[in-house]
Amino acid sequence: MEVEDLGHHISRRFNEDLERVRNSVLSMGGLVEEQLDRAIKALSDADSRLGLQVAEDDVKVNRMEVSIDEECSRILATRAPTAGDLRLVIAIIKTITDLERIGDEAEKIGVLAARLASVERPTTNYRELRNLARHVKQMVHGALNAFARLDTKGALEVVKADDTVDEEYESIYRQGITFMMEDPRTITRMMDLTWMARALERIGDHAKNICEYVIFMVHGKDVRHIGIKNIEAEVEQGSRRVESGS
Amino acid sequence: MTLPSRWASQFAVLAGLLGAALALGWWFGGAGWWVSGALALYVGNTLRHVHALDRVLDGHKRFLLFETRGLWAEIFARVDKLRAKARNRKKKYHRLLREVRESTGALSDGGIILNSNHEILWFNPAATRLLGLDPATDIGHRLDNLLRHPDFVAYLSAPKGDGITVPSPKDESGWLTVQIIPYGKEQRLAIVRDITHETKLERTRRDFVANASHELRSPLTVISGYIDVLAEDPDMPAAWATPVAEMERQAERMTRILRDLIELTRLESAETAAGHDFVDVAAMLKPIATEFQGRGGPAVAIEIETDAALLGKESELHSIFYNLVNNAARFTPATGSVRIVWRADGAGAVFEVIDTGIGIPEEQIPRVTERFYRVDPGRSRAVGGTGLGLAIVKHALQRHDGKLTIRSREGEGSTFSCHFPKERVAFRSAAGQAVL
Repeated sequence: MEVEDLGHHISRRFNEDLERVRNSVLSMGGLVEEQLDRAIKALSDADSRLGLQVAEDDVKVNRMEVSIDEECSRILATRAPTAGDLRLVIAIIKTITDLERIGDEAEKIGVLAARLASVERPTTNYRELRNLARHVKQMVHGALNAFARLDTKGALEVVKADDTVDEEYESIYRQGITFMMEDPRTITRMMDLTWMARALERIGDHAKNICEYVIFMVHGKDVRHIGIKNIEAEVEQGSRRVESGS
Repeated sequence: MTLPSRWASQFAVLAGLLGAALALGWWFGGAGWWVSGALALYVGNTLRHVHALDRVLDGHKRFLLFETRGLWAEIFARVDKLRAKARNRKKKYHRLLREVRESTGALSDGGIILNSNHEILWFNPAATRLLGLDPATDIGHRLDNLLRHPDFVAYLSAPKGDGITVPSPKDESGWLTVQIIPYGKEQRLAIVRDITHETKLERTRRDFVANASHELRSPLTVISGYIDVLAEDPDMPAAWATPVAEMERQAERMTRILRDLIELTRLESAETAAGHDFVDVAAMLKPIATEFQGRGGPAVAIEIETDAALLGKESELHSIFYNLVNNAARFTPATGSVRIVWRADGAGAVFEVIDTGIGIPEEQIPRVTERFYRVDPGRSRAVGGTGLGLAIVKHALQRHDGKLTIRSREGEGSTFSCHFPKERVAFRSAAGQAVL
């Protein structure tokens, strides 16, 4: 009886540990989302102070990554998790790396937005870029939601959305080149703009990675680099297995 | 104690049965057998009824029961009655539940019930609409995993005040306020309201005030310029001296009001907290005190009890101190006194202005930081305030994470205290280096 109680106690503590680290990943996600949000706001409102503030606040994201990473190492060392628990810990370790990178890209956007705030703005106020930013923001939001709900279908949606983002980036890039050829005086501004679009496109890729980890975590299948059709098949198969309860 | 009649009849049946068995035994012999037979009959009948009762309680129809009177008939009648009552009650609760569901469904505010672990127990359709929660999957998930804004996460773990404003997760330009209300046993209700419209209105109002002030300032500068020239013109007829002096005073007052309005809108619309520049409070207070000492108003004393400095924005801190001292000096008669105190306390540092002025009636204290609010309109204008000083103090203080408390007694004087938290307080070490 006593031994059983002890065993139960340990596994409850273990569950709490896993749950806590999962929650801190999501609060880190919330912080990253806010950083991205503010960086984009700094661009659309031409608010250089906000942009620099975002750059400054990136240390918070970094600090969270380090602390979650330590917590994961501790769980691996002391609990030796297996199967689903192990997948969860691995997925978390990978997810926070991508979240931290998203934070870095947001920092970059903040700095560029601060620089662009003081130069002349096009009449469209960077509409294409803001559009791209909106899609990327939705991707990050969707990826974190999928992580919170362990929702592989939602994850799949985000993976699919990455193609649109890539296309949008491509078109901003081409447009930038055209502008630069037409009027070399715009080169500095257009370069900044291209860098910003590039950062956003990278954020989309990171969001996509997080979704792939969600699929790995839930179905135990590695779906990196296998193409969207195959990912779709894996998710379909995986959810059928879950539904049939085996 | 009297036996209920149903039990009496039951005992009568048993006694009759036993009596008949004994009589037959006496007549035919073998009384033991007769009695056993009678008891078996009785037990068999009882078992039949118990079986029937069991079936009835299982929800089956009653069968093979012929009595219309006696113990068993009454037991069955009472079971029927209880069941009918339970059915009615169930129907009533169902109806009530449906009504509650329908009314919470019709609410425009989102409602979410959480347990002590922030896990979602229930939410209404408005919560789905405002936050994008999915009734099929999200029950049991933690709310802060789905609504991840850092401010909200911090608020959820330590709710205080009237809720928190966060950007809407669904609508890009939308804003929501969330308020957590604890109730019952370890349960909490989160109320979510869409304030996008109010936020837009508020912004329009602010923009209007800011634009209007800016637009009014340029013509006013021109007018004041000409009035200055007029006032200094030696050829001006003597009859015009008083009107021109009055014009000069009023133009100057208008300039002050506009300046304060612009300052206030700037403070209101700033989104980030004030910066963390090192500000030497003692050095800032001395010139302010000197300025008011030379005005011939009440006696102004300054008491610096700590060498603490503040981390903040210099111009805003100056405006806090200046406005409070100015306020006190204006509402204190020349025979009274104003004390300026800068001291440390357990929670950080406090700046206080204590006057022996006219005081504020208690019921008006909460309102004095409103824009253009005047305790005594005639008097305030006479002493030449803009009506914006305390509003500026309040907003500037908020940007420094500080708090304003006002104590006052009518006719005896007022004390205005600005409390700054530890995080904003710094000390200059001997080497002249700022240390936290």
